[in-house]
Amino acid sequence: MRLLEILIRAAGEGHEHDVTQTPSKFLPEGYELLFGIPASLLVFGLLYKFAGPVIKKGMAARTAKIQAELDAGEAARSAADIEAVKIREAKGDIASERSRILADADAQAATMLADGRARIKTELAEVEAKALADIASVQSRVGDELRAEIARLSSAAVDQVVTGSLDDATHQELIENFIQRVGAQKAGASK
Amino acid sequence: MSDNRIEGYARGLFEIARAEGTLDEVEDELFRFARSYESSDQLRNALNDELIPPAKRQAIIEDLLGSKATSTTTQLISMVVGSGRTRDLPAIVDNLVARASSAKDLEVAEVRTAVALTADQQTRLAAALTNATGKQVNLKVVVDSSVLGGIVATVGDTVIDGSVRTRIDQLKSRL
Repeated sequence: MRLLEILIRAAGEGHEHDVTQTPSKFLPEGYELLFGIPASLLVFGLLYKFAGPVIKKGMAARTAKIQAELDAGEAARSAADIEAVKIREAKGDIASERSRILADADAQAATMLADGRARIKTELAEVEAKALADIASVQSRVGDELRAEIARLSSAAVDQVVTGSLDDATHQELIENFIQRVGAQKAGASK
Repeated sequence: MSDNRIEGYARGLFEIARAEGTLDEVEDELFRFARSYESSDQLRNALNDELIPPAKRQAIIEDLLGSKATSTTTQLISMVVGSGRTRDLPAIVDNLVARASSAKDLEVAEVRTAVALTADQQTRLAAALTNATGKQVNLKVVVDSSVLGGIVATVGDTVIDGSVRTRIDQLKSRL
């Protein structure tokens, strides 16, 4: 009502005030209100009628998009939670697998160590036996060679000594001994 | 050469020597020559060399024996060489000696010594061998330096070895 009074007064007092000054510090001229308000309402009405559905539709689409993104985020979060659970479970499995593998490795290492020690012991025994056999063989061979060399030298020495000592007297003595020895034999006892 | 051929040659030589009345001497000389032939590579090679004509080989025989042997011995050996039977000479001579000994009811006693035996030693050795073997022996002495010392006597299949060589060999064997 107050606004209406102001509009009427403004319409009646149009020629008495300074046109460069508005009657109110806050309100425009009365005629501006008179034409401006309906025009504004008209514009708003048109906007509401024609632009409203489009805006409403856009807002709905945006809402749907945001909701979809929220849903996707929620789904991703759920998947991440499930994955996290799996990872935690896997982590637990990995820890137990690690323990099992380490235990297996320890067992294998112990077995290998025992086998290796046994093998080395066997090989050592074989090498020792072979070395002893080689030593015995070398000893035997050297002994044989030494005996052969002694025999060879002795044979040569015997030849030289005997041949050198056979003078005529010795020859005659050998012949006489032979004749006496053969003469002493009886028939059928000769060799 | 077959045994029959060797025997044939031996019989021929034997008959010739007997006909000449020098059987003992020829037999002994042939035996010595056969042993020399066996022990001398040079003589063996010269007499068996096919590149040397038979006449030249016979000349070698005559040069070698010359006055050292009877002419009968020289001619008999020349005949064997000339007929190309030089390789069989030892076998022929051994057969001849065995035949001659058999004719005298003797057994051949081949005696090898390093030095020559005196006549007295030969007589005593023949008696000793007769005593040892129970057979009358026809002693054939071969001087063989490989014996070194002592005597090796072979009567038929019996060998009586008193040589230094054999003793040395036994000693070497033990060594």
